[in-house]
Amino acid sequence: MAAIIGLICGVAIGLFVHPSIPVELQPYLPIMVVAAIDALIGAARSYFERSYSNKAFIFSFLSNVLLAALLVFLGNELGVGTQLSTAVLVVLGIRIFSNATAIRRFIFRN
Amino acid sequence: MSQQPGHSAPHGQHSSHRRVRTVRTVRPGQAREQDDRHDGIDTDNLETGSFPAIRADQKPQTGTKRGLSRAGLSEIFSGVLIALLCAGLGFGFVVQQRSVQSNYSALSENELVRLLDETNRQITQLESQRTTLSRQLTSIQKSADKQRQIQRVAKKNEEASGILSGRLPAQGKGVRVTITGKKHINAATLFNLIEELRNAGAEVIQFNSVRVVTSTYIVDIPTGVSCDGTALKQPYTFLAIGDPDALANAISIAGGVGSTLRVQYDAKVSVQKKDKIVISATAPVHAYSYATPVREDQ
Repeated sequence: MAAIIGLICGVAIGLFVHPSIPVELQPYLPIMVVAAIDALIGAARSYFERSYSNKAFIFSFLSNVLLAALLVFLGNELGVGTQLSTAVLVVLGIRIFSNATAIRRFIFRN
Repeated sequence: MSQQPGHSAPHGQHSSHRRVRTVRTVRPGQAREQDDRHDGIDTDNLETGSFPAIRADQKPQTGTKRGLSRAGLSEIFSGVLIALLCAGLGFGFVVQQRSVQSNYSALSENELVRLLDETNRQITQLESQRTTLSRQLTSIQKSADKQRQIQRVAKKNEEASGILSGRLPAQGKGVRVTITGKKHINAATLFNLIEELRNAGAEVIQFNSVRVVTSTYIVDIPTGVSCDGTALKQPYTFLAIGDPDALANAISIAGGVGSTLRVQYDAKVSVQKKDKIVISATAPVHAYSYATPVREDQ
């Protein structure tokens, strides 16, 4: 519930405020967003599996986002920024798909 | 709710856990954990029938002041945190989406070329528009200049004609002619004096209190003369603006109007050259009812 309200609020703020992101942050934001979406889908899956925990969700969310940003940062430092961010995106995408599959199974089994 | 075998197993685990924990909820860390589980199991087990007993069992336990406040606080705290995180996610998503929309780095080469072409075309269009507009601007400025010049000329004309027609008071160098005599002075002689002043280049003339204009007339009346309907008596004073020397000469030249006055009328004529003559009398503006100016384009 809190998550849905937060999402709606965030989207509304983003729509109304028209912020411009600083240039240094530009490569990180998309990866962070995808990582956060992954955390959200994972939380949804654990909710369906009855093993959901607020703490776990918060930590997975933060660690996912931070790790993704860290990886992109590392990639940028090493000169393989685009490749590494692609790798991160692929992994996150796979995770999202597998989590979504699990959720789908739960929904259609009952 | 028909549970799958693999699914029901964790259930049993949960409930047993909880039963153990409800006994010793006193430890804060555990209390929170227990509460975290609480939600899931509550919603989960509403229909099973076996769990309400546990809930009833548990409620008074969590109702103890310490457990409730801690658990409730951490619940609220984590809810707020989740809301904040999700708000950050939504915000980041929208921001990123917007920046992608306005960012050229995401476009392909073809698109960029097309965009460049479009921009170039737009530039050409805008430049031609600018040329047109600047041409318009110069023409408008020119016409405004002309208008201003016309206005200046008109103002000058207005002043000149105002002075000429006697509508405006005037001042400048000139002479003051005073005529004092016992005898009646003929209106024609006075008019002659005015004509002499005019010939000498007098620009503005005042006769006693009357502004002398083109239509001014002087007639004899028993008490003296009448100028433009105003009865005037001696001494007569003429104020004239113009070149003082020329005006003075015109009056006092040998055989001129000054000597005529002295000889014929035994009058005393004094001519004073002045640096500043103020002619404050004005003549009523004549309203033309028949004559209109001839326009060149007609």
